[in-house]
Amino acid sequence: MRGGLLGIERALFWTLAFAAFAAAAAGLAARAVDRVAVGYEQERNAYAIVRVLAPDGPAGIAAAQTALTSAPHVTSAAPMTAGRAAALLSEASGEQIDPANVPDLRLIEVELAAASPQADISGDIVAALAAGGVTAEVIEAPDTSSGGGLAPRVRNFAFWGAILFAGMMAVIAWLAARGLAARRREMVTVMCDLGATRGQTAGRIADEAAVIGLYAGAVGGALAAVAGVIVLMLAIPGTTLNALTTMILPIDLVPIVAAPLGTAIAAGAGARAAAGHFHALAAKLG
Amino acid sequence: MARPRASIETDLFERGVLVRLSNVDAGYGASTVLMGVDFEARGGEVNLITGPAAAGKTTFTHLLRLALPPRSGRSVILGADVARARAREVAEVKRRIGYVAENPVFIEQWSTFDNVAMPLRMLGQKPREYSDDVRELVDFVGLGGAAELPVEKLSGAERRRAAIARALAAKPNLILADDPTAGMSPADGRRIVRLLSEMRRVGAGVVIASQDDTLSDVAPMWVWRIDRGRLSAPEQTEAADAEAYE
Repeated sequence: MRGGLLGIERALFWTLAFAAFAAAAAGLAARAVDRVAVGYEQERNAYAIVRVLAPDGPAGIAAAQTALTSAPHVTSAAPMTAGRAAALLSEASGEQIDPANVPDLRLIEVELAAASPQADISGDIVAALAAGGVTAEVIEAPDTSSGGGLAPRVRNFAFWGAILFAGMMAVIAWLAARGLAARRREMVTVMCDLGATRGQTAGRIADEAAVIGLYAGAVGGALAAVAGVIVLMLAIPGTTLNALTTMILPIDLVPIVAAPLGTAIAAGAGARAAAGHFHALAAKLG
Repeated sequence: MARPRASIETDLFERGVLVRLSNVDAGYGASTVLMGVDFEARGGEVNLITGPAAAGKTTFTHLLRLALPPRSGRSVILGADVARARAREVAEVKRRIGYVAENPVFIEQWSTFDNVAMPLRMLGQKPREYSDDVRELVDFVGLGGAAELPVEKLSGAERRRAAIARALAAKPNLILADDPTAGMSPADGRRIVRLLSEMRRVGAGVVIASQDDTLSDVAPMWVWRIDRGRLSAPEQTEAADAEAYE
């Protein structure tokens, strides 16, 4: 790197930096999608509706509400008012519903604490209500419709999409680094003539490409990090840098940390393969 | 310097036979350029391979520098049987050969000094270990004033001198020069050949391929004539310009 980069080295540096930026940005986007999907799934699983079957009348609702205060998994419970029911129905159907036209639904909205996947939430709540003298059923969010199962699919798509995209960027880095080996062909020929093995020659060129890749990957990763912060601040109005430091988890930074390493490996491998090929051509005539 | 494994080839090497070719054919693709070549070079001797253009001189040097495998016959170079040698062994042998190509390849942006030092760097030597030797070698070939110049700035004759300095840097057992006087004045050409021939005094074998058979009187040497891929039996000559040589 002495004296700065010139010609092909500079072109290679910025090609690798772009590839690293694109791969890291894709990784950060995938992390963002993953976190939104996890949040959505948690919110979805943290909500249920209890339909009170007996006793009839307001006494049944009151008894159920009392029983729910000590029921497992339940963090809060509130009877669904006609106004709230009309608002939900209007949102679902797209038509304006008058609360006066909503019948007595005998429903209680329940917020749930996070529970293990093995927990029988409905069974535990029904049992707690029965212990309080209330017969009821629990309507949980359905598994296969209304967004059920969507979050895992989105998370998978984001993860594999980012991996695929990063792979494509690695191929670009691999191919770009071959240009460096072509540029160093005279060195390959000289080393071959002086008795360097294929591994020594290819290793010398690969080291150079890997160092350029490391710096370019660091620059690309840093640019992706800056872009990520800007996007977050635009997407979440009022967010401060202090708030971001608590919001961002260490695992969110994996794409940025992986960018220099991945770029160095891809560039080194590309240069090594090309230099090895040129060495073989120089070593054997005829 | 790594010693070759104990074998008939090693025995030859230890008796001073650096190269022995026995009935060797070699060529490129479908064409066979060298046919039935028998050749021997010993340490401390100079061999001149001379013949017309396209006679096979360059192919012969490629054969000796292990860039071209023999198609048939036996080729033992610096104690290694070329046909049986593995890539690592071939590389080891190459490190003990100093090669001056007809059109030498350099790392053009590097200085003359750095290019000449390249074989020593490849052997793992540090600049403080080789600096004085390389400086002396660059002076020896008459490039003292151009040591720090990038090779791309050198003239054709200076490049050839730089190639000679690089070929001698690692103190090789065998020195090969392919048409080292091409494009030079007769006086410069003779000076170059004299320079290469000097290496016989330190025990190296020298093989020079050239169209110019008048070079045979520059130093005592074996002269081999090559024509259409066939090498004739050698003749021994004495140096006519012995005074200059001595």
